[in-house]
Amino acid sequence: MASLILSPAEQDYIIRGVESGFRADGRSSLDRREVTLRTGMISQANGSARCRIGNLGVGTDVLVGIKAEVNAWTPGDGVPESSGVLICNVECSPSAAQEFEGRGAEELNVELTQLLDRIFNGPQSGIDFEKLCIIPKQAYWVLHVDALVLDVRGGITDALVWATRAALLSTRLPRVVVESIPDDNGVMQAEFDVVDDPDDLTELDGVENMPIAVTFSRIGRRFVVDASEQEEAVAQARMTVAVSPKMDICAVQKGGVLRGFMPTLFSEVLQTAQTIAREEFSRFEKCYAEAKSQALSQIDEPSTGSTFLVPF
Amino acid sequence: MSTNAIDRRRINGPQRSVEPVYLKTETSVSADSRQDGRTRTNVRPIFMRTGPLSPQATSAASPSGSAYYEQGKIRISCAIYGPRQGRKSNPRMGIFDCDFKYAPFSCSWKRSHLKSSDEKEIGLMLEQAISPAIRLDAYPKASIDAFVTVIESDGKAATISAAINCISAALVDAGIEIYDSVAACSVALMGSEFYYDCTQEEEDSAQCTLLMACMPNANEITYLLQQGKTLPEQTEKAVQTCSDLCTQIYAVICRYLQTSVEQ
Repeated sequence: MASLILSPAEQDYIIRGVESGFRADGRSSLDRREVTLRTGMISQANGSARCRIGNLGVGTDVLVGIKAEVNAWTPGDGVPESSGVLICNVECSPSAAQEFEGRGAEELNVELTQLLDRIFNGPQSGIDFEKLCIIPKQAYWVLHVDALVLDVRGGITDALVWATRAALLSTRLPRVVVESIPDDNGVMQAEFDVVDDPDDLTELDGVENMPIAVTFSRIGRRFVVDASEQEEAVAQARMTVAVSPKMDICAVQKGGVLRGFMPTLFSEVLQTAQTIAREEFSRFEKCYAEAKSQALSQIDEPSTGSTFLVPF
Repeated sequence: MSTNAIDRRRINGPQRSVEPVYLKTETSVSADSRQDGRTRTNVRPIFMRTGPLSPQATSAASPSGSAYYEQGKIRISCAIYGPRQGRKSNPRMGIFDCDFKYAPFSCSWKRSHLKSSDEKEIGLMLEQAISPAIRLDAYPKASIDAFVTVIESDGKAATISAAINCISAALVDAGIEIYDSVAACSVALMGSEFYYDCTQEEEDSAQCTLLMACMPNANEITYLLQQGKTLPEQTEKAVQTCSDLCTQIYAVICRYLQTSVEQ
């Protein structure tokens, strides 16, 4: 993550605070910061969302756009014959931190991209990929999930998953008509046509089953959720747990190079992840419904700088 | 002259191509015997050698430690350079850098010579798994670099865990100060049972794979990665079995290191 340099005294202050149950911004160890969510602000994309985690207008800011594309199926490129695919890419913008300039963010980009891929690309995400197949062995939908990290103030993975989840929920694909046409030899051939009507759109199937991620940071001998930038600078290890609405564990990944964590803490972490995920799902629903109504009310207004920035 | 000129020097294929129909081979994994004859809880036999790359005369250009590791079809070699002056440096503690590379011929498909994003990620994973074991505060401003080459792979999670074991042995060979050796293992969920140390074919048909690295004596999990969906109890159980398995693999590594010193 963004390397913030803290003096030993500052580090000690944070560690001792966390160990005795206090955090610098007044939260308890399992409290999360405020989330601002907005969807559908990019008209060129099939789905988009912007999520900011943080208080008082300062926080981790992630923008996700989804572009759908029809691809021709070719044997041997690794795509199953009757399903679509999702391709993730995360890019940390140099606007977030100076060290992301040039190739500075390369490692972080790779780590976050693979994490997003691990959570969303596959049956564990709940998305019905079979429905993204247009004609088996001929054509399928590719969903390009492109995330842009605009600001980093800790808790980047959780923000990414929130934004991706909202973006995929708001994604609308054009309808596709498949018909069988006999060719010269009388053999029936399937052909498809993408309906070019901006109002004739379909939602993705199974997106409501997508997981949410909870990241724990180990500070001293304790864990905190949704670490701030300062807390992340002293965190010794990170653990991201992705939990589905049915409370299944969809992915677990440890991060951080300084320390590991105790095996005895693991079951506690899993339990806490489930409790927090339950709360986060209801919070997400609320934020998403709000964002959706906002997007609907602004649908006729021309997109200007102010509509893009208003809630942020 | 027809406008629709056909190139007669080439063999023109049909406009539409169809994938050939393959004969289905039985890949069902029955309760207690696997394709390679192992039982569910069997791990492929492990072979390792430290110092295969170190030449007799120590020169500055040769690695300070190396190891070769085999587990079933998996073959991995690792070289450690350092502690030495690195590109990046931290005045307070050393940096452990890991470079992971699949040889182009190591997988069932041809890999590119260029580093792909999954190789970069595995390099990062290895750093995160091994760094907690190294006494990095004993090497301020220095960098310790590990170069891992996969000569042959069989199962992604199994290859990564083999790489972790290989680096552990190489670090000891290089004489780097460590708290404890890191041992790693992988399991895959098929049906309702976890199968230990799965091959590529088994991993492909698994609902979930779990990779874990730990320091058994220090009682610390240094890396954990779960890919795929499970119930929370299953994850917990898998971590439990993995930590037992890691202890066994740790014993194998330690026994080898001991005999190599005695020789």
